[in-house]
Amino acid sequence: MTESDMRSILKCVRCGTCRSVCPIFDVVGWESSSSRGRMLIAHGVSQGLEVDEGVLNSLNMCTTCGICEQLCPSGAAPPKVVEHTRHQLVLQGKMTQAQRDIASQANELGNTLGETGERMAWLGESRADVKEKADYVYFAGCLGSYRYPELARRTFDILKKFGVTVLKDEVCCGSPLLRTGSGPLELVSKNLEQIKATGAHTIITGCAGCYTTLRNDYPDNLEVVHVSEFLAEHLAEMDLKKLDLKVSYHDPCHLGRCNGVFDAPRNIITSICDLKEMKNIREKSRCCGAGGGVLKGYPELSQELSKKRVEDIPEGVDYLVTSCPLCRTNLKRGGPKVEVLDIIDLLEMAMK
Amino acid sequence: MQKTDLLDKLQEIVGKERVSASAAELYCYSFDASQVRGMPEFVIRPTTTVQVSDVVRLAWEKGISVTARGAGTGLAGGSVPVEGGIVLDMSSMNKILEMDFDNLQVIVEPGIVQEKLNLALEPYGFFFPPDPGSSAMCTLGGLIANNGSGMRSVKYGTTRNYVLGLEVVLADGTVINTGSKTIKSVAGYSLTDLFVGSEGTLGIITKAILKVRALPKERSVLLASFENPELAGKAVVKVLSSGIVPSACEILDSNIIDAINTYDPKVGLPQAGAILMFEMDGTESAVREGIAMIEDACSSLATGIRAATNKKEREEIWAARRLVGAAVSRLDPMRTRVYLGEDIGVPIKEIPKMLHKVREISEEFDLPIMTYGHIGDGNLHTGMCIDMLDNKDWDKLNKAADKIHRTAISIGGTVTAEHGVGGARAEYLELELGKAFDVMVLIKKALDPKGILNPGKMGV
Repeated sequence: MTESDMRSILKCVRCGTCRSVCPIFDVVGWESSSSRGRMLIAHGVSQGLEVDEGVLNSLNMCTTCGICEQLCPSGAAPPKVVEHTRHQLVLQGKMTQAQRDIASQANELGNTLGETGERMAWLGESRADVKEKADYVYFAGCLGSYRYPELARRTFDILKKFGVTVLKDEVCCGSPLLRTGSGPLELVSKNLEQIKATGAHTIITGCAGCYTTLRNDYPDNLEVVHVSEFLAEHLAEMDLKKLDLKVSYHDPCHLGRCNGVFDAPRNIITSICDLKEMKNIREKSRCCGAGGGVLKGYPELSQELSKKRVEDIPEGVDYLVTSCPLCRTNLKRGGPKVEVLDIIDLLEMAMK
Repeated sequence: MQKTDLLDKLQEIVGKERVSASAAELYCYSFDASQVRGMPEFVIRPTTTVQVSDVVRLAWEKGISVTARGAGTGLAGGSVPVEGGIVLDMSSMNKILEMDFDNLQVIVEPGIVQEKLNLALEPYGFFFPPDPGSSAMCTLGGLIANNGSGMRSVKYGTTRNYVLGLEVVLADGTVINTGSKTIKSVAGYSLTDLFVGSEGTLGIITKAILKVRALPKERSVLLASFENPELAGKAVVKVLSSGIVPSACEILDSNIIDAINTYDPKVGLPQAGAILMFEMDGTESAVREGIAMIEDACSSLATGIRAATNKKEREEIWAARRLVGAAVSRLDPMRTRVYLGEDIGVPIKEIPKMLHKVREISEEFDLPIMTYGHIGDGNLHTGMCIDMLDNKDWDKLNKAADKIHRTAISIGGTVTAEHGVGGARAEYLELELGKAFDVMVLIKKALDPKGILNPGKMGV
């Protein structure tokens, strides 16, 4: 365990603030499923607590949503401790099957979805518009490429007007590996080389997981913006019409709470229709339950977390909008009464 | 009885999913927010009184200890199973069973979190006054078992003042009901009062009839700055003896002021040797009059006086104040707040003297000691932050905490005003209570002759 992780654990006074807001604990109810429990277990592991299934489950049930860190009065950082402890254990070969699968698929296939097809097939006819050199690169991500290819293409079609290109051989950004304790070095260098080759100064992504990884875990301090941030700056150039709609917005944890992107998606929404906020928003937004490897490792728990988040959707809205494909996927599993849209879907509705 | 047989029996009572003997789970339940440690053999999350009763009866028959736990936010180890056995995590029993506003009361299960009760009461215009710093986390069961209180106790008293009756599972599994829905009753010994504050050593609380109060129409906050804590202490004596009853009266020393401003810069407390935070609640005219009287009483001692201008500012101040106990850890990356010697209470007149003594102790052990707390009722929280990896720091901390406890007793005070005795302060009880402590032991023996309920706590 690194000294900074140990210091972070020692900052925890076990006051229970995190326990009162941890969405996983709220569903599971056992102390080991709370942030406080995970901090104790991480400390325990460093002191020789045997790593068994209970330890692995405690550490791996965390979505790394960060609400614990946000509200921790004493300044501890449980998500970092969780990620680092997962990493230490993975190095010792101690991991769940889901962790193993995520790592092997990402390294073998370049995506964590088990897909063997051509990743950039989503480009379709837009392939002709891919430039060798550009100031901006659109990073579609695994979910964009394989689960929402139409959305990825439509996003690129909007972006390409502003001098944006894509990587010819994009691979997983590495987020699922980093969150679940594996090293994504090969993936990172493969993407990084291509980014450099385009000469781009900024990467644009529509995924919260890609966003936080490219921004915080890649070397060279890459300039990274979310597609909503980029387009919010170009609304005047987009000839948008007003929509007679009322929508709500879900803050993806890794975009909002972890990186402070709250206003850009809201600015887009309010420029084209009415926004009615969810019950818990911005820094105090509730996790959809998908991140940190939880959707893959604990699908039932992940769905229960989503159901809780869906309860936060206000009455009287036409759509729930979000700005992350992983959140979107999982929010649908929570059984919302309204359709879940990506921010780009909404923007397209308003394009004349 | 073999451990596996016991596990089978416990699973029969509460269901497989509600018993754990996993090493990871047991480890998590071996802590609370104190420095007391104890590893359980089983953790159980019951959902009904019948289940609690059946578990306790089984434990009684087999001679296994049972420790009740709420959210595990206690600062004295009250919920830590120091002698192993079973931990009953009561936080699943979290329903509000009845809201009877005509009778100004509610009936609740013990696992409900204080703040959640108040959120449920607010739309009806009522509230449950005991307001600990941990109100967003702590359960009512823990609050009752520790007779907790908090920032508004100077006006509203402690949890005890709001418990009309309890359902309690005794050591042999028998379920009794104490008190009643009547506001007054002198029928027999007040068993309700006996169980309030008994920290799970006499029985397990499974239901409570609680008084609630109508929400005040108006609240106002006044901040008075002083050159040092002793002058602030004098101002408190002056304010309270002039007949004003504020709804809160908190002291913050300079380090605590820094901690609050670091945790939430929006609060922006003024720099001072100490600040008193007064709150008045009630009707608009009573609040206005009270605030003016406090201002008048403080004016000759304070270096500055400021009112919180709006509801948002007031709420930010209280939110930050609630969490400052932990937030002091933010002041130095290498140091962490350790809760020891943190909950003394002294007669109001002795507050300036105790503040002075704390400063002397701080100098004697070369250990910064911050002071804050509910000074309006003589309850001072002392905050000590140490390098958790430095044994010398631990030694200083333990010695300073011991001296703080003994000093409080020597001037007619108590080692714990609201956090509880648990395992952390058990050694001082005989010194503080004298022969009354022997009566406590007799009561414990009468109600729990086998000593299975939360053993190793409160010195009994």
